Amino acid sequence: MGYTPELKELIKRVEATRPKRLEMARKGENFPALTLEERAVVLEKFHPDYQKEGRRPVKTGPDKGLVLPEEVAMLLESRSMLRPEHVKLDKVDFDTDVLVIGAGGAGNSAALLAADAGCKVIMVTKLRHGDANTMMAEGGIQAAVHECDSPFYHYMDTIGGGHFTNQPDLVATLSHDAPLSINWLEGLGMMFNKHPDGRLVSRHFGGSSRKRMNSAGDMTGAEIMRVLRDEARSRSDQISTIEFTPAVELLIDEEGKCGGAILYNMETREFFICRAKATIIATGGNGRLHIKGFACTNHYGATMDGVVLCYRAGVGTTCMWSTQYHPTGVSYPEQNVGLLITEKVRGLGAHVLNVEGEQFCFPLEPRDVESAEIIKEALEVGKAVLTPTGRYGVWLDSPMIDMLHGEGTVRRELPAKFIQFERHGIDISKEPMLVYPTLHYQNGGIAIDGDCRTVIPGLYSAGECTGGVHGENRLMGNSLQDVITFGRRAGIVAAQYVNSGVEVKKLTMDHVVKYEKELAEAGVENPVVAPILLPDYSTDEVASRRLLQVQGMLEAE
Amino acid sequence: MSQSESTPKKTQIATGDRAILPKGAKTIPIFIMGKQYEVPETLTIMKAMEFAGFQFLRGAGCRGGICGACPTVYRMPNDYKIHFGLACQTVVEADMYLAQIPFYPANRAVYKLEDIEARPDMINALYPELFRCVACNNCTKACPMNVDVLGYISALKQGDIARAAEISFDCIQCGMCASRCMGEIPQYHIAQLARRMYGKYIMPKAEHLQKRVDEINAGKYDGLLEKLQKMSHEELEKLYKEREREPDLAPNGTWVPQDAQYL
Amino acid sequence: MKVTYYPGCTLKTKARNLEDSAVASMKALGVEMEELTRWNCCGAVHSLADDDLIHQVAPVRDLIRAMEQGSDAVVTLCSMCYNSLARANLIMKNDEVKRKTINDFMDEEKDYHGELEVLHFLNFIRDHVGWDKVREQVKVPLNDMKVAMYYGCTLVRPGNVSIEPIGDTKVMGEFLEALGATPVDFPMATTCCGSYQILGNPEAALDVSAAILESALARGAEAVILSCPLCEYNLAKTQGQLTEKQKLSKEVPVYYFTQLLALALGLDSEACRFDLNDHNCLNFLKSKSLVA
Ligand SMILES: Cc1cc2nc3c(=O)[nH]c(=O)nc-3n(C[C@H](O)[C@H](O)[C@H](O)COP(=O)(O)OP(=O)(O)OC[C@H]3O[C@@H](n4cnc5c(N)ncnc54)[C@H](O)[C@@H]3O)c2cc1C
Ligand code: SF4
Ligand code: SF4
Ligand code: FES
Repeated sequence: MGYTPELKELIKRVEATRPKRLEMARKGENFPALTLEERAVVLEKFHPDYQKEGRRPVKTGPDKGLVLPEEVAMLLESRSMLRPEHVKLDKVDFDTDVLVIGAGGAGNSAALLAADAGCKVIMVTKLRHGDANTMMAEGGIQAAVHECDSPFYHYMDTIGGGHFTNQPDLVATLSHDAPLSINWLEGLGMMFNKHPDGRLVSRHFGGSSRKRMNSAGDMTGAEIMRVLRDEARSRSDQISTIEFTPAVELLIDEEGKCGGAILYNMETREFFICRAKATIIATGGNGRLHIKGFACTNHYGATMDGVVLCYRAGVGTTCMWSTQYHPTGVSYPEQNVGLLITEKVRGLGAHVLNVEGEQFCFPLEPRDVESAEIIKEALEVGKAVLTPTGRYGVWLDSPMIDMLHGEGTVRRELPAKFIQFERHGIDISKEPMLVYPTLHYQNGGIAIDGDCRTVIPGLYSAGECTGGVHGENRLMGNSLQDVITFGRRAGIVAAQYVNSGVEVKKLTMDHVVKYEKELAEAGVENPVVAPILLPDYSTDEVASRRLLQVQGMLEAE
Repeated sequence: MSQSESTPKKTQIATGDRAILPKGAKTIPIFIMGKQYEVPETLTIMKAMEFAGFQFLRGAGCRGGICGACPTVYRMPNDYKIHFGLACQTVVEADMYLAQIPFYPANRAVYKLEDIEARPDMINALYPELFRCVACNNCTKACPMNVDVLGYISALKQGDIARAAEISFDCIQCGMCASRCMGEIPQYHIAQLARRMYGKYIMPKAEHLQKRVDEINAGKYDGLLEKLQKMSHEELEKLYKEREREPDLAPNGTWVPQDAQYL
Repeated sequence: MKVTYYPGCTLKTKARNLEDSAVASMKALGVEMEELTRWNCCGAVHSLADDDLIHQVAPVRDLIRAMEQGSDAVVTLCSMCYNSLARANLIMKNDEVKRKTINDFMDEEKDYHGELEVLHFLNFIRDHVGWDKVREQVKVPLNDMKVAMYYGCTLVRPGNVSIEPIGDTKVMGEFLEALGATPVDFPMATTCCGSYQILGNPEAALDVSAAILESALARGAEAVILSCPLCEYNLAKTQGQLTEKQKLSKEVPVYYFTQLLALALGLDSEACRFDLNDHNCLNFLKSKSLVA
């Protein structure tokens, strides 16, 4: 285990250039940063968000004409798993007040608050209860809780970080509700990091004016998820959670209100009609679309289902063109691929190097610029390392850290990363790491207002599947806050709507029929079937031997 | 099949999470539930299984070692030991015999946190099986997160909720401990209850947070936020640039900014 | 010789008065007592089935933990813990076959061969502190107090782990004399208190308990000391029922031996923890002007 002999050979080149680079670093000299003009060029040419290649206008639906990544556009131009004419909508299998789709942080918060307001809730989820991006968040959750901070500064930091592209009412809601969310989680028994007197331990983060990052160890998201899941389980009298049963189509009643969804039991391959007075979409992100082939940090079910369902029903998106890439995701060893290497590593002085062991960029450019430069080194210059598992990587020279700051710094400052690599036989205080940009967060998504309403009555949405809260750039710690704040809001507002006396009329799938007609008219041939639910990672070789493929070829002949 | 031969100059690049077998890489045999498959070395069990053609429905969640969906048991030739690992974190080895255990039933008591107190006897009443522990330590040996499971079970028998909460903090609720328990104890459910009791009733409350919540509920910031939403880009940008930054070394709750009008 | 202290689960929950008074007393006597940092339940009841080795695993694991902590001996307060640890220790010391099986089963731990000594607190005070030292430090002599010495069974049975030869037990007497009290021996001093029968067959257990207390009263005892939380439960916590149903002639104050030690050493209520005993315990001491 550890690095292969071939990689060890390459590491020698890194070691050969290191003394000189260390000398530079000690003198405070750095590889020159790009000018604003140069930045624009490299972004334009290599940042996946800026590249023309791989993006195109979407041909149908509410955002027709909007330029989006191919993978996203293709899913928006998709057809349903179901043939509407064969679906019997008068036979209702589940009837409920509120249907929550997705059981991550946003879904559970919504379910709990709707239950608090007396509603009967069904929460369906694609994998197990809690298999979600929420579980994976390590860093923390923002909220202006200390005296020197206020919702005003939370608002300012968030909208500035998002280059002022955020939707103002959403930012206002976020910063207003954030302390309420933390208070709620504390009351549910979440183990926040606290000082001995009970004061929350809060830290700075990229783009903060105040220390606002609250956490629970280095598994804040997991702690939130565990607590919410346990609470939802404790309330099984009001909340029924159905696992491995994604929603695959929305149902709209003849008055145009959302009236529930069609559910699909992935294990038995049965479909069910779920009628609900209000429906909340909380299906999370889209990392598993692997836009442009990038690895990702997301969980297995992050396939943008909610956006697809809503889009087909006529709900547009906000900021959908924007995706967050993290410049340094692990590219070797294979078992860590896509995992984040925090910015702190570069902050502590580690250089980013090509296969020759040479520097090719300033290591602390903004995230998007840094990502673009690494991609350029791989694709254009052709000087990336090719890993034994066939991935691009550039060296992140972590051993410099101990050499610059003294023995033991790596272990002390980066304990989790140290262990993660040590497990696979790599001592990152002595050997450099291989990294490459990785897909991290779906910045845009379903268009909502400050109360999580979509344009369809009875249809609400919250969490990573929505857009606008973060604009084109999300600050660390704001998405966990997003899912709690808007999840809770969605639950409250949906319950108010239900309690005001809603009657679901005859259910229809007319929107699907209409949308598929639009696809045909727009000349979209062989649209993909979506939501795709899960990515398929079988090799081409295996896929080509699968019966359906073989059959397809025979039929074609 | 001969794609790489026909386009020899183009190197095959792995995209997304799909594993490939790059030129020159070795394959090794592994036995998935007893059946042999050849997979590239250095892959995780999860990716090796996908390489072999499995598509997970159960048994994969976060793919990052934190959700507990993919616990796997395996044995190596000539070794009586059962090994445990997360499929997404454990690298395949030649001749390993493996099976995933994506779900293991475990008794979860019914309770409402707000109706109970943080008292050891409350835990004992909800989970009397706690006292069936014989300290065999099978649970600790099975834990893929290296949690001292016997340690937190013992702490609970000793009535030390705080200690149990701290020891069990890294638990990802994969259920391996419960699958191996001689006392049929659902360790991770009990630990969850202990942690929530600790978080809600034993840890000191954040008083400053309660104060902030009261201010917000009293509408203190409503006007300010209203104004911000209507502000022009230029005004916002100006205010953004003027923000004072809390000093890095100021302990929480001590720093007083010069400009207090927006607090 | 390094001695590590093994508390046991009940002392951390229901019998804090036993532990707190002991720990405070040792501090007052200047004896350092290091608690085991990692430990599990002792197994509580020694398993009698010859082939039921799994129940030896818990106590053996505790002994291994103590060994890891570099100790030569483990000292316990609770008689039950003493009994399970001492008997498991004997197996590991003397029974080659069982030792191998248990060590093989616990292959994640260091092998253990009975290297440690298991001590009960009474013997520990006698041998490692000494009655003279105790006597010197007594600030509030318990003069004029007649105290029955209740050993129960687990301190003295079976013979190979008995803290003293059965029939010739002296240590509690010496202990009480050092505190200035008058020890009272009585016929049922080593009769079982009914133990876990209190759960399955409460009437039988209560009958025995009443008989034991009556037997002590008959010898003129005013109070009883013991060292086991289960005995304490049967003899003390049930006294309401004993006087009513079992016709026990009068209530008898029951103390953990360490509480009287703390009292005699002049320690405060936080150390003595009479608040966790029955109300008659405090009243009795008040009547003797030993507490305010
Ligand atoms: C590795 C990593 C680290 C992160 N670190 C941080 C951090 O430090 N701070 C921070 O604030 N944010 C962080 N984030 C981002 C944050 O965790 C997520 O954005 C947020 O948790 C999303 O929550 P959610 O409830 O919207 O979606 P999720 O938590 O992803 O939940 C969505 C749920 O919906 C289910 N689902 C999907 N489709 C369907 C369907 N069709 N039908 C039914 N159910 C469906 C999914 O299976 C899932 O259970 C991180 C993210 C990752 C991946
Ligand atoms: S304690 Fe149990 S459930 Fe938790 S991670 Fe370890 S084995 Fe899994
Ligand atoms: S597996 Fe069960 S019986 Fe064995 S030590 Fe763990 S909790 Fe106790
Ligand atoms: S898939 Fe979540 S722990 Fe492995």
